[in-house]
Amino acid sequence: MSDGTGLNAREQGVTTVLTQAIARVLLVPIFMVAVGILVKGYADVGDGFSAGVIAALAVVLQDVTFGHRVVDRMPLVRVAPAGAFLGLTIALLVAFVPLLRGEPIMTHAPGPGAEVIHLGTLELLTAVAFDVGVFLLVFGFAVGAIGMIARAHGRRPGPA
Amino acid sequence: MDDGILNPTGLLLLIALTSAPVALGVGRRNAAWTAPAAAVMAALGVVVTLWGWVAGESQVNLAWAPSWNLRFAFALDGLARLYALLATGIGLAVVLYAGRYIPLHLAHQKRDQDEVVPFFGLLMLFMGAMLGLVMAQDLLILFVFWDITAIASYLLIGFDQDDLEARAAALLAILITGVSAVCLLIGALLYHAEFGTFSLPNLQRQVGTSDWSGAPVAAGLILLAALAKSAQVPMHFWLPRAMAAPTPVSAYLHSAAMVAAGVFLIGRVYPLIALEQWLLDSLLVIGFASMVVGGVLATTRTELKQILAYSTISQYGYVVAMFGMGGKTGVGAASFYVVVHALAKSALFLTAGAVTEATGEKRLARLGGLRRSMPALAVGSGAAAAGLAALPLTSGFFKDELFFKAALERGEGVAALAVAGAALTIVYIGRFWMGIFLGPSRSTAHVVPPVLVAPVVVLGALVVLTGMIVGPIARLAEGAATVSYGAAVTIHPAYHLDARAENLMTLATFGLGGFLLATRRFWHSLASNAGRAGELIGPARLFASSVAGLNRASTFMRRTEVRDLRGRVATILAPAGFLVVAAVLATPTRGVFQIGAVGRNDLPMVLVLTAACGAALATALPRDHVSMALIVSGLGYCLAVVYAFFGAPDVALVAVLIETIFTILLLGTLALFPPKTLEHRSKEPSEHQHLRRDGFVAAIAGLVAFVVAWSALSRPAFQESVAIDHARLAPSAHAKDIVTAILTDFRGLDTMGEITVISIALLGIAGLLRRGRLL
Repeated sequence: MSDGTGLNAREQGVTTVLTQAIARVLLVPIFMVAVGILVKGYADVGDGFSAGVIAALAVVLQDVTFGHRVVDRMPLVRVAPAGAFLGLTIALLVAFVPLLRGEPIMTHAPGPGAEVIHLGTLELLTAVAFDVGVFLLVFGFAVGAIGMIARAHGRRPGPA
Repeated sequence: MDDGILNPTGLLLLIALTSAPVALGVGRRNAAWTAPAAAVMAALGVVVTLWGWVAGESQVNLAWAPSWNLRFAFALDGLARLYALLATGIGLAVVLYAGRYIPLHLAHQKRDQDEVVPFFGLLMLFMGAMLGLVMAQDLLILFVFWDITAIASYLLIGFDQDDLEARAAALLAILITGVSAVCLLIGALLYHAEFGTFSLPNLQRQVGTSDWSGAPVAAGLILLAALAKSAQVPMHFWLPRAMAAPTPVSAYLHSAAMVAAGVFLIGRVYPLIALEQWLLDSLLVIGFASMVVGGVLATTRTELKQILAYSTISQYGYVVAMFGMGGKTGVGAASFYVVVHALAKSALFLTAGAVTEATGEKRLARLGGLRRSMPALAVGSGAAAAGLAALPLTSGFFKDELFFKAALERGEGVAALAVAGAALTIVYIGRFWMGIFLGPSRSTAHVVPPVLVAPVVVLGALVVLTGMIVGPIARLAEGAATVSYGAAVTIHPAYHLDARAENLMTLATFGLGGFLLATRRFWHSLASNAGRAGELIGPARLFASSVAGLNRASTFMRRTEVRDLRGRVATILAPAGFLVVAAVLATPTRGVFQIGAVGRNDLPMVLVLTAACGAALATALPRDHVSMALIVSGLGYCLAVVYAFFGAPDVALVAVLIETIFTILLLGTLALFPPKTLEHRSKEPSEHQHLRRDGFVAAIAGLVAFVVAWSALSRPAFQESVAIDHARLAPSAHAKDIVTAILTDFRGLDTMGEITVISIALLGIAGLLRRGRLL
């Protein structure tokens, strides 16, 4: 039953060299896809939410292949749960700062009809900042939750 | 009026907001300095209020959420000045007294001396809330401070946490004042719905000239909150119970502040109330009823603080009745009365505390003759009692003079009732003071620290002093009455040595009071029986049984709900299902429930849907949990494919991703279970006896879901219009992808709520698995 998760697969000798090689090779491209989806969110399919889940899946793939002990050493994984709250803060700021300026909650800038600065596909909008907040939050949640479950699983005494 | 922050209003607001943090901060460093710090804050409050009096009206008016027409508006006007002076001045006296009393109180109960810190923190929180409340010019802000006073009072009444009676009393107080506070909120929202503003000055201008039929309802709801706070009949019974609080709390909250907040609110919204004569009439009735009920019961009680509590009900009955009498005279007299009553009543409460501290006795029957051992206290409290009984040479005399004058304006019957009520006051206050200080000595009195006597003497001296130089209080009351009445009010309290009606009524009061006091033993049992009858069938009993009934209903609901997993799911799904069915039945069905054509192009979709149906049915088959989880996620992937066919790539992408991550989370969670438990559960025989019932429920649920989905999908007109709007607006949001624009912009607030839930879930997981550590 316990290897149904595969979270500690390496310690249990389930993964092979092939899966390990593929997981290692895929890590950076998956992150690239995630960032691409995030950046293109306002112009094409995808948004911060999808990007966050995709990036988290990259980490989960490492978890499954190498076990959480290896993955926990990745700096990105260590800060991810804190990043979730950074994301929430960004989203809250985007939502509530307009109140201070006397505008309704969640008013995005620049407003309709105003000029937007483009960096390639990326548009500099507060809506995009909000989307980045969602990305950080979703990534942090998924990585944090799965990491915590994996660690709890590692601690649990059980049949090897 | 000068706008800005650097004026008395701004400064007093600063004191209001910082007094509790200052007291707590100082107390954290050194508990012994908490009381002095609180005293300094209260004294600063007095000074700033007096400055505001000299400097004239000032205000703080900042934009808060202008798009909702909300302003952070406060003003130290005449009305605020009066109550702020009471809250800070009597607060100062009480803090000085409590600085000595509370450590003794804690020592008696063998509690940690550090508990003085939260006590003074709460006392300052209360004072700050009172200051904010009286200065608020906006109903919403007023409501917030109103609720803070209720919460602070809850914690203060229940300060003796180990005393069951104190905790029950605190709960009762917050139930009555907290639930009625909701009426205030509803009233405020009604006004806002009609006039689009919470601002009191604006409302007073607009309501007077409109013919809105909801005005009496809104004003009546606000009045209800005020009357409950002022412990008026029939919502009076929380106040005597609240006497379980330490004495300084009773002296402060239940004489000068918390109950005064009720009549303050009446004064604040008086222009809105005065538009309806029947509201004023009901104030008159409730006021007189409280006067009589409180007065009669006060003559029958034996515990010192109980007598004072019922007396407070009765005295605020006077004030409410005077507001009901209305007119310049009534409003002016009510404002004057509040000041004198607060001075005298807080002195008497502090007297009760000092007497109990000295003798260990709480009951009048075991006390007596203390004039010899506590002469200073006898004189100080004697002056306060004389003030309450309206004897000449005290400011109390004028309070009754003004009261009688207002009553006379309203008619002879009201005047007669007024005399009767005032005579009752003489009886119970006379009994209180004489019972403690005159007669034979029945208990030994220890020496009490002078600081427990000094505030009583000072307050008593103030009552006498203002009886000779009445000008300052009269000006204070005039300022308050002018704000309440909406036009300049002048009052002329003075001694007149002639046979005018007020003087004759005063003489009649003294005569009647003296007579009743002398003949008390003849009518005492009658009054006690009335009190007992009230306990049997009165509102307190009604309230207790309705609370008990509510409690039983909630216990029953809970038992049914948490009996098993089926119960939990059913309590959520069954009502939701009924509502949905009702909605479907209520909507017209013409043109709905048609069967569309299925063409060749739809074949792949039909295949995927068949797979989805198969997966859905298959979830019921396996017995082991991992297979179940995998089949459920398989169903999710099938639906993702359906979205893709519908041409919704955004949704399909999210569906696939969600399905993946949640399958992993689900499997991970399953792995945390002890394997034996899962194995055991999966080998349990299925419950055949329920098979028929379960099948029936499933069939009904499936049928309903089918009908709902059919009717919703064959009525796409409304949804399309929203979708078209979104598509049309997307370019204004600089978006080329409509779904993202919906998520971050059009429906951004929804997303905000959802991601907040996700972050709370993350904290929950951390709490369960890592004792709250995130990293």
